[in-house]
Amino acid sequence: MYQYDAIDKAFLTDRTEEFRHQVARRLAGEITEEQFKPLRLMNGLYLQLHAYMLRVAIPYGTLNAPQLRRLAHIARTYDKGYGHFTTRTNLQFHWIKLRDAADILQSLAEVDLHAIQTSGNCIRNTTADPHAGATAEEVDDPRVWAEVIRQWSTLHPEFTYLPRKFKIAITASAKDRTAAKTHDIGLALRRGRDGALGFEVMVGGGLGRTPYIGQTIREHLPVGNLLSYLEAILRVYNRHGRRDNIYKARIKILVAQLGAEEFGRQVEAEWAQIDQARADLPDEELARIRGFFSPPAFDVLPAVSSVFEAAKAVDPALARFARQNTHPHKIRGYAIVDVSLKTPGETPGDASAEQMELVADLAERFGFGEIRVTHEQNLVLPHIRLDDLPAVHAALKAAGLATPNINLVSDIIACPGLDYCALANARAIPIAQDIARRFADPAVAENVGELKIKISGCINACGHHHVGHIGILGVDKKGEEFYQLTLGGSGAEDAEVGKILGPALPAGRVAEAVDQLVEVYLRERKDGERFLDTYRRAGLEPFKEAVYVAAH
Amino acid sequence: MMALTANRLIDGEVVFWASGRWVEQFGEAEVFDKDAPAGEAEARAKSQVNVVVDAYLIDVAEAGDGLAPVAYRERLRALGPTNTPHHGKQALGGHAIEVIAHADGIARSGGRHNLIKRK
Repeated sequence: MYQYDAIDKAFLTDRTEEFRHQVARRLAGEITEEQFKPLRLMNGLYLQLHAYMLRVAIPYGTLNAPQLRRLAHIARTYDKGYGHFTTRTNLQFHWIKLRDAADILQSLAEVDLHAIQTSGNCIRNTTADPHAGATAEEVDDPRVWAEVIRQWSTLHPEFTYLPRKFKIAITASAKDRTAAKTHDIGLALRRGRDGALGFEVMVGGGLGRTPYIGQTIREHLPVGNLLSYLEAILRVYNRHGRRDNIYKARIKILVAQLGAEEFGRQVEAEWAQIDQARADLPDEELARIRGFFSPPAFDVLPAVSSVFEAAKAVDPALARFARQNTHPHKIRGYAIVDVSLKTPGETPGDASAEQMELVADLAERFGFGEIRVTHEQNLVLPHIRLDDLPAVHAALKAAGLATPNINLVSDIIACPGLDYCALANARAIPIAQDIARRFADPAVAENVGELKIKISGCINACGHHHVGHIGILGVDKKGEEFYQLTLGGSGAEDAEVGKILGPALPAGRVAEAVDQLVEVYLRERKDGERFLDTYRRAGLEPFKEAVYVAAH
Repeated sequence: MMALTANRLIDGEVVFWASGRWVEQFGEAEVFDKDAPAGEAEARAKSQVNVVVDAYLIDVAEAGDGLAPVAYRERLRALGPTNTPHHGKQALGGHAIEVIAHADGIARSGGRHNLIKRK
């Protein structure tokens, strides 16, 4: 992975000391809260319901073992012994004290981590496929380009005060694990007919109160022109994006108003004005960055591991784990392993300090020290030898990290909701826990198959509810928590915004309603159909009837 | 009835006004029956800009044999997150905490006074 150089390290140290000084001035009364708030937000520090929250950036969801260990150390020293992985592949600490914040940033900086660009109207942490560098599906390593964007966008003077926040995701596989079409810019690496690498550039996606699916404005942008083209998009947005109304300030509103074709035309016109030789990354710099992502020293192994096959034959739990939580690796004899942070009954995305340390140890012992964070709030060990799978599974299981439920009904995205968040209208975590407990039997969950449930505690949609196969939005009805269900959303390559099922349900009815929806699916499904496929074929009505008519 | 709440600047802790000082437990909060003294306390609290952030009045009502914030959000602030009963003020236990934890009946969203500024 990318290694900070002396300039990066000096910059982070300076930045931490600057923030330490700003905190001291705030506590001494030399600056007001109004003056201080934007400064702390630029360092990822929010004030939430019970305490401060620090959002740590995890660039394109990539961590090494010492970094994950450091996050565990911070959780234990300055928080209540855990951290919360988010749908932006970042990590949030929910019990932070202002007086400790600068020390925490210093501790993060020692392992090349920080909390810059995790808040504010700037280009946020760019996300990428968590299987990058490990999946045979990809045409290139998206981390290379995410790192290029990271370096280019960090404190970019022109794009630090955009009309609103700005999120970019990069995938290089046909199967999209980044929800690219829900981002301000989604980039999909593809090979053209001539074999040349290019980006499909999608703009104007986004969730929140007005969800849109990103639209393609360029089918094949030569990869070497990435930065100049991004600059053109951001310039058009920076110039014409609305600043008078926070709810209409995202690029999705501008793209929707102009139409993707006209927006694309303006981008092309702007791009033609840009000195590309200045704006684009020189080849040698690209090569330097690419060098940091060269493959680890994989062993030459047989495609089938007799150790693993023998263990699987006598351990049904391992066999199930292998079915649900592992994926083919591009190198023979290896697997990509999902670490589930969705044990039924636990808080989705939470990991204790001990769990973080265990995953760091496993990464170091068995996986070249690499860990990834997914936007679905799980972790990934991207390079595990099949021979080592029994040992890795046993260690994960002992730590409560081997729930075999990736992409299943209990692998639920949930934002922190009203339990923590100052913006929330309703709780999200207990709803996720109720549903997951209902489907805690792994055989039942496996029989139901792929079913993505996503829960947000308010319309800002951090829990991606619009693109859940079943989406759940918490609303406040006269001070009481109610939940609006949507069906048929998808954040993947077949992205779609879900449709509202019917009137909002009280909290106590939600898990039961999900059960009823699943019953309809199991009754109606045809060979090989996922929940989403059955919904798309059968429509909303049978599902609606089950939830609303059967209730009487 | 009303109480006055804020987050403490230095650590973000939820605090309540109690006759000129800030306490961490809702059970120790001063309860105002009338608007005038509540408003005076709010004004004093707002002037303590280096001590607390965002002081505001909340509605309080009788619940069981005690008092509780009316709004669910405020009850969560007085207790802690529901997914981790061992975190936050609720971990302390005791009668006042039990009263809030079992309070039902909700008046209106937010439960925050003067949130909508009337001209």
